[in-house]
Amino acid sequence: MFKVLIDLLRYNREFAIGFVLTAGIFLFALAHFWAPLPDTAIYLLPPDMPPSTEYWFGTTSRGQDVLWQMSSAIWNTMLFGLTVTIISRILAVAVGMVSGYLGGRWDQAMMTINDTMIALPNIPILLLVYFVMRDSMSWPILALTAALLGWNYDARLIRSVTLSLRNREFTRHAVFAGMSVPQILVRQHLPYVMPVIFFTAMNNLIWAIGLEVTLSVLGFSDINRPTIGGMIYWANQHQAIIAGIWWWIAFPIGAIVLLFLGLFLLAISVNEYIDPRSRLSRMGA
Amino acid sequence: MLDALATPSETRTRPILEVKGLKAYYQMNYFGVQREVRAVDDVTMTISRGEIYGIAGESSSGKSSLIKTIAGAIRPPLRVVEGSVKFDFGGKTLDVYADPARMKAARWQHLSYIMQGSMNVLNPVRKVKHAFHDFAYKHMSLGEGDFRQRLVSHLERIGLDPRVLESYPHQLSGGMRQRLTIALATVCEPEFIIADEPTTALDVLVQQDVLALIKDVQRRMGSSIIFVTHDMTVHAAIADRIGIVYAGRLVEEGPTLDVFQQPQHPYTAHLIASLPRIGDLRKRKALPGKPPNLSEPPSGCRFHPRCPLAIDICKTENPPLETRGTGRVACWRAGEVEAA
Repeated sequence: MFKVLIDLLRYNREFAIGFVLTAGIFLFALAHFWAPLPDTAIYLLPPDMPPSTEYWFGTTSRGQDVLWQMSSAIWNTMLFGLTVTIISRILAVAVGMVSGYLGGRWDQAMMTINDTMIALPNIPILLLVYFVMRDSMSWPILALTAALLGWNYDARLIRSVTLSLRNREFTRHAVFAGMSVPQILVRQHLPYVMPVIFFTAMNNLIWAIGLEVTLSVLGFSDINRPTIGGMIYWANQHQAIIAGIWWWIAFPIGAIVLLFLGLFLLAISVNEYIDPRSRLSRMGA
Repeated sequence: MLDALATPSETRTRPILEVKGLKAYYQMNYFGVQREVRAVDDVTMTISRGEIYGIAGESSSGKSSLIKTIAGAIRPPLRVVEGSVKFDFGGKTLDVYADPARMKAARWQHLSYIMQGSMNVLNPVRKVKHAFHDFAYKHMSLGEGDFRQRLVSHLERIGLDPRVLESYPHQLSGGMRQRLTIALATVCEPEFIIADEPTTALDVLVQQDVLALIKDVQRRMGSSIIFVTHDMTVHAAIADRIGIVYAGRLVEEGPTLDVFQQPQHPYTAHLIASLPRIGDLRKRKALPGKPPNLSEPPSGCRFHPRCPLAIDICKTENPPLETRGTGRVACWRAGEVEAA
């Protein structure tokens, strides 16, 4: 695994850039565990201080250090994104592969549900859930709701790949040799579907982070828990742009753009490793 | 009950495969319209131990459907309508369509299958060793180390470097992949091997190589082989007996040499006559017409619209497959056919 990482860093520039960006942002987010002040505390520092050697990214109008706020915010936002991605990947892979392989009535039933979910608009449903849940709303519930809305397109994509694998010689051979359906799906088809899963996972992560930012900017989340969207929400509440407190908005937005860029580069380059054929052509073998 | 009473000598003489009155149709129902394609129609045949049996016929004559039905590897819409397929493994009779659990256990261990397009049976994103592990490991009841050793010695016997186990299929040549497929089908030393066009996509040199390999493996393990190809030269090279399939029916069967020298069915006669011979520069005559549509086969003998010897009875009544000389033939005018 370590050797693979070194090879990818050496031969694949996209991966190298993406890896450095994502790892850098991850380490920065990790640093919040050593923050000098609790991330929910307000008015402990002088408000509206511009970036300086004392406060590198300045302070907010609520008397918080932007640097440490951002560190927690990125951590929380990434945690949300990963939770959504993992839950929705499990759903998408299970539904897509089973539906594509079994076909027939199973396929019809599962794809009817899938297509119905695709037709539902995401944001209004999330808002509805927020208004119904209100005070008991927490980020895990929001993540679960988002995950339940975020698997459908990818399930269809994975289904289409499995559909083509189902009639390949190696599948028919495996059936003849007495492999069971779960064995065929996991051992024969999953490695083939893996690049699709990885790519959609990265896309889904980016989508989930974007969704979290959107909802938080609008205030539809736990606003006391720092997130990237939450920071922008508070900056808007204090009219930071009009008041000239640009650092309160510019740094979180810059961080999220860098994170998106890093994840995107990782997404496109990780396929090179997973598909052995493109990996070899890349290395000139 | 009979199984228990069978003595060793009886076991040896009993045929390994018995197909009786087998009918397998593709039954489709699209938007309320029923369609039935009679791909395998009333086939009866037996194969004895250690025999290589070739099935010949033109495209879409039902060769592959027949072989799939024998292997029990059919999926809807292809269904068995009538008849039975019985194997005899180690003195025990196994009815393919009556005992699915035992059939499943017997596969790969007693009965293996080299499928059509067998260059693609290896999963392109997994190393070759995984294929052996998935297909053969659980049937061999060996430990990891012993299994690995057995695999290496098997590959060496077949003429492959054991290092291929660590490679991906796309890193190997077509001939190597074909050999691997054969290695995969023979690693458990099955008693019966089914091969569907095992050499079709290969050039003549590799083909010769692979045929020699199949014959060698068969001789060493004493297994029986049934194989399908439209290439008559392959039949001439390795088959002990051949069966000619036309429009889903077995029309002629006999020892290879006899069928080539003295074809008894007019279709076989044409098939043999169409083969090029060294030094003979005459143009070969093509058989007029097309193979019949199996969803609406011709009445009577299915060959009658194209047959130069057709008489009235051919249009109304289907000739039975009857023993004649060393083989069997289904033709009303079997005695009058001459090798062209």
